[in-house]
Amino acid sequence: MSLFNSRTADRGLAIALIGLAAFIASQALSLEVPFSYDPVGPKAFPIGLAIILALLSLVLLIRPGENGEWPSAGVALKLLAVLGLLLIYALLFQRLGYLMSSGLVIAGLARLFSASWLKAVATGVLMAIGSYWLFTLGLGITLPGGSWLG
Amino acid sequence: MFDFLIDGFGVAFTPLNLGLAFLGALLGTLFGALPGIGPINGIAILMPLAYTLGLPAESALIMLAGIYTGAEYGGRMSSILLNVPGDAGAVMTTLDGHPLAKKGLAGPALGLSAVSSFVGATIAILGLTLFAPLLARAAVLFGPAEFFALMVFAFSSMSVMMGKDPIKTAIGAVLGVLIATVGVDSGTGVMRFTFDMPELYDGIDFVVMIIGLFAISEILLMLEHANRKDSEAELPPLGRVFVSMKEVMLCKWTMLRSGLMGFIIGVLPGTGASVAGAVSYTTEKRLCDKEGTFGKGDWRGLAAPEAANNASAAGSFVPMLTLGIPGSGTTAVLLGALMLYNITPGPMMFSENPEVAGGLIASLYIGNIVLLALNLPLAGLFARVLTIPRWVLVPGIAILSFVGVYQLHSDLTAIYLMLIIGIFGYLLRKLGFSLAPVILGYVLGGLMEENLRRALAISGGDTGILWQSGISLGLWIAAAALLILPWLFGRLSAVRTSRSA
Amino acid sequence: MNSNTSLSLLLGSVLLGGALLSSSVQAADNDECIAPAKPGGGYDLTCRLAANGLLEAGLIEDPMLVTYMPGGIGAVAYNHVNGVRTDDPNLIVAASTGAAVNLALGKFGQYDADEVRWLGAIGVDYGAIVVRADAPWQTLDELMAALKEDPSSVAFGAGGTVGSQDWMKAALTARAADIDPRALRYVAFEGGGESLAALLGNHIQVFTGDLSELRSQLESGDIRVLAALSEERVGGPYADIPTAAEQGYDVQWPIWRGYYMGPEVSDEAYAQWSERLQQLAEADSFATLREAQGLFPMAMFGDEFDAYVKQQVAGFKELAQEVGLTQ
Repeated sequence: MSLFNSRTADRGLAIALIGLAAFIASQALSLEVPFSYDPVGPKAFPIGLAIILALLSLVLLIRPGENGEWPSAGVALKLLAVLGLLLIYALLFQRLGYLMSSGLVIAGLARLFSASWLKAVATGVLMAIGSYWLFTLGLGITLPGGSWLG
Repeated sequence: MFDFLIDGFGVAFTPLNLGLAFLGALLGTLFGALPGIGPINGIAILMPLAYTLGLPAESALIMLAGIYTGAEYGGRMSSILLNVPGDAGAVMTTLDGHPLAKKGLAGPALGLSAVSSFVGATIAILGLTLFAPLLARAAVLFGPAEFFALMVFAFSSMSVMMGKDPIKTAIGAVLGVLIATVGVDSGTGVMRFTFDMPELYDGIDFVVMIIGLFAISEILLMLEHANRKDSEAELPPLGRVFVSMKEVMLCKWTMLRSGLMGFIIGVLPGTGASVAGAVSYTTEKRLCDKEGTFGKGDWRGLAAPEAANNASAAGSFVPMLTLGIPGSGTTAVLLGALMLYNITPGPMMFSENPEVAGGLIASLYIGNIVLLALNLPLAGLFARVLTIPRWVLVPGIAILSFVGVYQLHSDLTAIYLMLIIGIFGYLLRKLGFSLAPVILGYVLGGLMEENLRRALAISGGDTGILWQSGISLGLWIAAAALLILPWLFGRLSAVRTSRSA
Repeated sequence: MNSNTSLSLLLGSVLLGGALLSSSVQAADNDECIAPAKPGGGYDLTCRLAANGLLEAGLIEDPMLVTYMPGGIGAVAYNHVNGVRTDDPNLIVAASTGAAVNLALGKFGQYDADEVRWLGAIGVDYGAIVVRADAPWQTLDELMAALKEDPSSVAFGAGGTVGSQDWMKAALTARAADIDPRALRYVAFEGGGESLAALLGNHIQVFTGDLSELRSQLESGDIRVLAALSEERVGGPYADIPTAAEQGYDVQWPIWRGYYMGPEVSDEAYAQWSERLQQLAEADSFATLREAQGLFPMAMFGDEFDAYVKQQVAGFKELAQEVGLTQ
């Protein structure tokens, strides 16, 4: 069961892109340029591109094409969960430090990809530690230790 | 005349330096294979290490050159196996490399890419050895006007990528060019689309862009596939491991052409592996793709960008060694490494420090042989990445993406940006867009605008400068021919069929 | 895997993780230098200069971390230090004249030059006016005469946008000849290397670069440096290059390389660092390192340097207004 059919998706995209083109053009027009040594200046390119984008989107609006199958509601929810996890990872990355945050997120992701709890937690712990070793000792990369520790 | 090279091999063949070349090649492969952690980081991280270890200049350089070439070899691995380019030069490798892996041909695909990398790099190193000073003189003939014409040529050669949905290809390319306009305008210093966020002043970073577009969206797509009941949810079977001679021979001309083209593009300062990969891929598609198999797992579509990006990596040594001008971000870092040893690359280097120049070139030969020897037999092992269950693979991709972006920026904004671009990439892919035009638009569009405006700043607005020189005129004609000829041939054959009918 | 072995595996790995965590805590006390750029750039080298120099001279015991924080030629790092790590006593950030220019132009967001503690400079480079060896001008005077006659006959180029420190060199040169910097032909390239290539290819006629990046071209005789933008002649391979002042044009452009610390760093930590850098500048081993980067000696630390930067920024502000960059 698809959320919406592909022609609707293309039309929606076309409308969104026309909106984007309008936004880009208005932003570009409002640029203040003290002076420019070339006659083109910083505005012309974005404005030209916005016009091309709008024209192409119009064609798409009139002649929408076929595209892939959209996920069902259940899968869409899972997708949101993955994105949520990645967002949490970003939020915790510096605060909890690499090891803790990675361990948690790896376990969560593994679980979302249908690993059992046990496997998920084991993966989280092992992969977090293994990758920490690889990155810091093997490749000399500095990773956040976590502000809560010190 | 080639005394420096003979001396160079003498330098490179000491046990210490051979060991370092091997170590560099190995580490480089690792750096290149991890998405987001490219040769620049590898070299920047290991440069101070080499220095503190007290290695002599030529030894340090040999190791760093090994890392550089190794990273170009390594970059293709995640392109082929995971559809996530390991570095800038490997973006085009995903187009045919990943479909091959999906067919169960991951092993041979890795093998072929190692062979084409080797061929491309060898062509370039030979070119570097024989013609470096001459080429350096020719490379500086490329000024802004010539670069603009080159970009016009590159865009028109992209027309072959239009495929079955030309509108979406064009929209993708325009979006890519628009993304490249974010940041401080290089001509006037005006901020474009930065919304007062200092993190956007330098524009959207290439690494953030490819990791977001490819890696994050790939994670989302993998989740969808995992939830599907049909056969697509299955992991691809692992077929044979080694590439066959027949496959290699099929690609021999592709490799030679792409290697040569990649080398020339690499020699030009300011264009690098990503441009080389794009131009060679589109050229080969135009020349060889009679059955429409490019993009669906064609051997030649894999060989072309691989030969080209390795050739361009070696080619960018030409302006660095002979003019002291770095042709790419990575050679800029190498230049910094040399300066640390009080060696200034440039016109005098071959006479003043022949052991360094010769040792470096010799180590490029050795490094490539080491890499081929390392990569061919291990292809089967690397291909086993595909048998890793998704619940291990996906978290792995996720942490690599985060670390890759974080170690470049030490800043969370870049990570949020990566996630946003990832969602954008996912939507584009679901809507039937191909990501390659977006990346190409991003890479070529920025260069195109900059060079157009530089050229006009030089001429004071006179557009005549754009086709004044023989080089730019030639490129304009070639670009026009690319657009007109296929159309003309199409018309001719249409007329012919209608007559015969 | 049966549940018993996997459980013990789990426990074992948790323990291992704990051990690793505690070892990583100790690393957090290390001194750190933020290079507000991508790896390999000038700021990276500035951080390495401190990191390698301090370690070699025995002024620090553990290696110093070098972290990259690119964005807006230092704007991201400046905001980071002002917003997040305001009082970190172990953190220094690389800076240069380019940062001062951007501060003057308001390109560091809401923050001004007064918002950090300027620590000190340990080296300096100088601007240079460069032409091809076969260019018609032998002296700065001849170039200036040609410019006065027709400013659009000569294309200048350098590695920065309008308003950047590379552009400032061209603008100041023009101004010294009473030419409106807006009347120039100026081309912004991506870095000094590309500009030098454009000069060698005769796409531009004058390159306003830095002395340190010219050495190999100078030795090979491909270029001629018409003037060094230094107070007085610098030594070494550049001894034959006259200064602009010598030739009657008051243009100076020193590019110092130094560091700043967070705004709320204690006086104690600030004094300790400034002393440490001073000792570094005096160390014998340091001169070789500095010269390897093409930098000339400059040693200014603590409050003196703080005042110097603030005064410089104020000067740039006036200049920017004068040439119409800001209102």
